[in-house]
Amino acid sequence: MRFGRRTLAALAATTLLSSAAYAADPIKIGLTGPFTGGSASMGVSMRDGVKLAVSEINKAGGVMGRQLQIVERDDEAKNDVGVQIAQELINKEGVVATMGFINTGVALASQRFYQEAEIPVINNVATGTVITKQFPKDNYIFRMSANDIIQSGMIVDEAITRRGFKAPAILADSTNYGQLGREDLVKALAAKGLKPVTEEKFNIGDTDMTSQLLRAKAAGADVILTYGIGPELAQIANGMGKLGWKLPMIGSWTLSMSTFIDNAGANGEGAVMPQTFIQSPSTPKRKAFIEAYQAAYKVERIPSPISAAQGYDGTYLLAAAIAQAKSTDGPKIKAALENLTTKVEGVVTIYDKPYTETDHESITGNIPVFGLVKGGRVVAERDDDIAGANAVRLKTR
Amino acid sequence: MSFDYLTLAQLVVSGISVGMIYGVIAFGYQLTFATSSTLNFGQGEALMLGSVFGYTVVTQIGLYFGLPILWSYILMLPFVLAFGMLQGAVVERLGVRRAIKTKSEAGWIMATIALGIIFKNLAENIWGRDTFPFPSPLSDNAIQVMGVRILPMELLIVFGAIALMAAIELFNRRSIYGKAVVATAADIGAAGLMGVNTAQVITFSYALSSMTAAFAGVLVAPVTLTGAGLGGALGLKAFAVAIIGGLTSGIGVVVGGVLLGITDRLTGYYISSGYQDVPGLVILLLVLSFKPSGLFGRRAIKKV
Repeated sequence: MRFGRRTLAALAATTLLSSAAYAADPIKIGLTGPFTGGSASMGVSMRDGVKLAVSEINKAGGVMGRQLQIVERDDEAKNDVGVQIAQELINKEGVVATMGFINTGVALASQRFYQEAEIPVINNVATGTVITKQFPKDNYIFRMSANDIIQSGMIVDEAITRRGFKAPAILADSTNYGQLGREDLVKALAAKGLKPVTEEKFNIGDTDMTSQLLRAKAAGADVILTYGIGPELAQIANGMGKLGWKLPMIGSWTLSMSTFIDNAGANGEGAVMPQTFIQSPSTPKRKAFIEAYQAAYKVERIPSPISAAQGYDGTYLLAAAIAQAKSTDGPKIKAALENLTTKVEGVVTIYDKPYTETDHESITGNIPVFGLVKGGRVVAERDDDIAGANAVRLKTR
Repeated sequence: MSFDYLTLAQLVVSGISVGMIYGVIAFGYQLTFATSSTLNFGQGEALMLGSVFGYTVVTQIGLYFGLPILWSYILMLPFVLAFGMLQGAVVERLGVRRAIKTKSEAGWIMATIALGIIFKNLAENIWGRDTFPFPSPLSDNAIQVMGVRILPMELLIVFGAIALMAAIELFNRRSIYGKAVVATAADIGAAGLMGVNTAQVITFSYALSSMTAAFAGVLVAPVTLTGAGLGGALGLKAFAVAIIGGLTSGIGVVVGGVLLGITDRLTGYYISSGYQDVPGLVILLLVLSFKPSGLFGRRAIKKV
């Protein structure tokens, strides 16, 4: 093939242009979660928290002079869809990292593709304890949420130690989430030398909890510990209202879901659950975050505040790691995350070396506080938990 | 578990109220089966559509006229009944008519399932996929009858379902249109020869069937909550009820529903909540093996 001089010049110009364009190419980051379906309130809040952080970072000049670009995909809380998305984001979109996962099942099904491709995953919301333990060696999975062991420990502490209940009944749904959580609760109770007076099960979509509640009543329960999601948790609260037998409900963080609060109404008031973040302007950083979120998405109550906060913080940690690595290379970003030299002030906490090579959990048991359903929203159960020196709790080692 | 009569009574009452929900949906299966030997497998979705549509109507009426919930609820009912009839007629026209004409054995099964999926997706796009509360026309506080606690809404479910089914039975027996329905159910060929427009009767039975489902949807929603996912589990349970009670008997499906509702609750309490759904399936299998036409069903005699 013979090239004319003009063709060559044009070719050279094109090559130059495209390499110049490459330098300013945006950094692609995957974002996946259920944006429709039963856990959509968590997925959408997480997505919006991430996008808020990305727009702030981009306004301030981006990372390494490049803009961050979000590639978002709806996994519909389905494992198989999560797998397809993982493959698409890795092979077609060429993301440098992915943030996501609300559902433990989707996380476990999708993560191995990122692990094989050496692309870091920031797990913003899913709480299954095994998520960060799936790959013992050279692990690319990092977490922003309080895992189920932390939560079940807190639930049992609150019920038994702080409030002095002696006869806890466990009500958990029949999914992986509910049953793994139930096991963690039983273990945490055993550590205090206690056994639940009864362990009851229900299915997603169940609308009548009479049998389960009457069994708990017959067993002499004095507190209900829950592991489930919004609508069925609401049916438990409504069932207790109907039976005129109202016990305190203490359960995993899903008691803060709007589908629990709205569907249980007055019956849901007083339920408490571990929260990494309460929608309350307890620090200037949190105030700014809440106001920015409300302004950007035109809502007063963040649908799932902790999903939004963890997503927001996760984005800043990832950006800091890319800046430190001076590269979008997966292994280098992973190494930077495991040895982050800059302190990152987030809304949940101040992240000072949040991860090490062997520890991929940014939250320790001292960080979450108890949230309380009051007046149709989640407030801090004890005000001094989020005030003064307690407002920002740092990771313990 | 210890045994006391009060607990038993509470379980039975809850079982009856849940069972009536199953029964009224199953009644819809029975209506179309009688005239055309076909079923709407999207019956659960018809219930869901009626429920979310009723939600929109009840809140809009509330907004425009500022009426108390009870009044907006009553005003909403004719809209929902009309909507249900229309939806049922659409299902019959699109999914069932051609299959009946071509004597296709399975065409209507596929078509009604497909339409059900389409309706569900449609509802997800309009009303979202979250569960949400349905305003209750009656008080949310339980009343106490001889120590058993029951929600006023649960009483309404039971009596509302019975009233609707009685009204349809009465219509079928007394009015000239109803007689056409009964005639078609008895012998479609003979009814056609006697001048009954059987195709229209079948469309009408589908409309009635979806109407009962839509009514059931707004009846149960204050207790079960509503949303695009409402139909799935309830539709399936009701199908089991229709098989147990017998697809040819109106009384049968009510008895089947109550039977299933009560055994579920009792198993959940006296055995384990993990096995709550098992006895229903066992009854279903037993009925299928020993009395395939259902507990109250007439045996179908097929002349060859």
